[in-house]
Amino acid sequence: MTFVITGECCSDASCVAVCPMNSIHPSPGEPGFGTGASLFIDPRTCIDCGACADICPVDAAQPAEEAAPEDVERNAAYFAEREALEATDLDSWEPPTYELRGGGPRRVLVVGAGPAGMYATRELLLRTTAEITLVDRSEQLGGLVRFGVAPDHPNTKQIIGSFERIVRHPRVRWRPGTEASALPDGYDAVVHAVGARRSRRLGIPGEEAACTAEDFVAWCNGRPGAELPVELVGPRAVVVGNGNVALDLARLLLSDQLAAVSPAVRRTLAAGGIKQVVLLGRRGPDEAAYTRPALEELLAVAGDRVELRYHARPTAWTSEGLTLDTGETIAAGNLFTAIGFEGQRVDGLPFDAERGIVPNVRGAVVDRPGHYVAGWIKRGARGGIGVNKACAQETVATLVSASRGAASPGS
Amino acid sequence: MDRTAERLLGSAERLSRDPETEIDWDAPVGDGYGMSPEWSTLYGTPYWDELTEAQQRELTRHEAASVATTGIWFELILQQLILRDVYDKPARSAEFQWALTEIADECRHSIMFARATERMVEPAYRPPLLARELGRAFKAIASGESAYAAILVAEEVLDVMQRDWMRDRRVEPLVRTVNHIHVVEESRHMVFAREETRERLAGAGRGRRWVSALVIAIAADMIVSSMVGRQVYANVGLDADRAVREARHNEHHRSLLRTSCANLMDFLGSVGLLTPAAARVYRRTGLL
Repeated sequence: MTFVITGECCSDASCVAVCPMNSIHPSPGEPGFGTGASLFIDPRTCIDCGACADICPVDAAQPAEEAAPEDVERNAAYFAEREALEATDLDSWEPPTYELRGGGPRRVLVVGAGPAGMYATRELLLRTTAEITLVDRSEQLGGLVRFGVAPDHPNTKQIIGSFERIVRHPRVRWRPGTEASALPDGYDAVVHAVGARRSRRLGIPGEEAACTAEDFVAWCNGRPGAELPVELVGPRAVVVGNGNVALDLARLLLSDQLAAVSPAVRRTLAAGGIKQVVLLGRRGPDEAAYTRPALEELLAVAGDRVELRYHARPTAWTSEGLTLDTGETIAAGNLFTAIGFEGQRVDGLPFDAERGIVPNVRGAVVDRPGHYVAGWIKRGARGGIGVNKACAQETVATLVSASRGAASPGS
Repeated sequence: MDRTAERLLGSAERLSRDPETEIDWDAPVGDGYGMSPEWSTLYGTPYWDELTEAQQRELTRHEAASVATTGIWFELILQQLILRDVYDKPARSAEFQWALTEIADECRHSIMFARATERMVEPAYRPPLLARELGRAFKAIASGESAYAAILVAEEVLDVMQRDWMRDRRVEPLVRTVNHIHVVEESRHMVFAREETRERLAGAGRGRRWVSALVIAIAADMIVSSMVGRQVYANVGLDADRAVREARHNEHHRSLLRTSCANLMDFLGSVGLLTPAAARVYRRTGLL
């Protein structure tokens, strides 16, 4: 038997680096890496050593005999059209890349302790001898992993354990519950990894009475101070959106087994009496942003209680339900929107309102020397947890080479 | 544990490599690098820039030979640790059989490294006397998590370098093949060592964990600092005093080592072996 990667894959590619047979793809640098989809193991070359499972931060790599048949099939299917790599021919591997290390900044401020900020901190610890101050306005680290990932995906949340070890490093000063503006100046560089937490809006009348994905997931995860902004009214709800967050929402609404949420959340969900969900895609199924494992999981939980509709454009939300541009009204008690997130302006930095990001060149903020961005505020709200690793690595590489001064090779 | 061992035995069946037959030991050896130049202890220092390319290549060949010698030294320790550990375990268990498979692998690797270094450079290297004597004591008394985590540290430090060298087209083909054979088989050994470490630590009290963590950190320091010594620089015709001095302050090398050992440190942290005392040692060694 071999190993397979299941749908909970975080794509941070730590497994790619430890596979002795080059069996895991797409690797960083290959087409398809960083799109948010899973990584896959080639069953033709996997020797079943288990190194990938040992290193996987979210327990997504599993022995094939313990994994679901769909996962086994999905891993094999990814390679169906590709030739197997001959791992003993070492020239079929990517050559290693090196950058000159050392030098670099002495004091760095990292703003935001979500995945992007944590990966940036880790990379700074590895690449430089800098003292790092890490702040987050929340009392807890983890960002969207803690308060955005669905509570019924505990494996994904395991990565918080490794984040917690990063903040215990002797060169890290962790300041929870702190606004960056409250700190004195004096840093050689600032890495803004503040994410993109605000939910995008549909822009239709009546939308203020809907519930956004941000609010719903924060409430479900018990983020301090988070409340459900609407009253749940069964039996039917509409979820607009075709990404994994929309699917999470639908699944949480319909799941009968939510052991991981607080009793209060469970009680509210049960009392709301939502029994059916219409999942509304404004475009077609081919353009949907969700991943196949997420869809399979939803269908397994919800069965025929979820209705998938595509090419449907909402025009208004009233107490009657959701009106579409065809004139049809879907009768429903609640509207949830999960059509993506967008970044917010960061004080003192330029802002590209159209894309919801801080304009930057490989992480360096345009026209603001010493300021860098990582994560969603750098590249827009796309890509899963692990994609932030490569993103933070790029930013730190830019930061280190800039602060090395004119003497650095290649500068 | 037995399930892991069973899987590893199966994996060894799927792919085990025999350097004796797989490598043509009579083929002529070229003059490629012994390791990726970026991994040289002097890379990034002013001294490195003063060397000719031929000297740089020669230096890396000696450094690689010296590192391989450290590998042999540690593999000897490791074989004895494992043999002592399974001495009275039931021979039919998968754990026992895997342990002996691992010893057989290590035995073949040591011979392979010995032959490869013989083909690469003239002088023979040996770890420093202090390391050899401490190793002698360690292999006689270490047990449980100290033994397995120390095995893991030694294997992983070597492994991360070899993963880079085997993929590097500038490196001598013989070294690349030797390294890949080692990397494939070590990946199984490291899975086993992690599992054993976790298992032995289950239920360990704070005192024992503190002592084990420190012992492992000191072993790591010993291994890393024994890899390339002044004799290497002298044999290549360098000013050994200057080379040792510049290598010691080579922040590029420390950073490369730190990055490569990040997964290892993460594992030690996750099982509670990164106590403040141990962390101090790892910082001094340049692993944290």
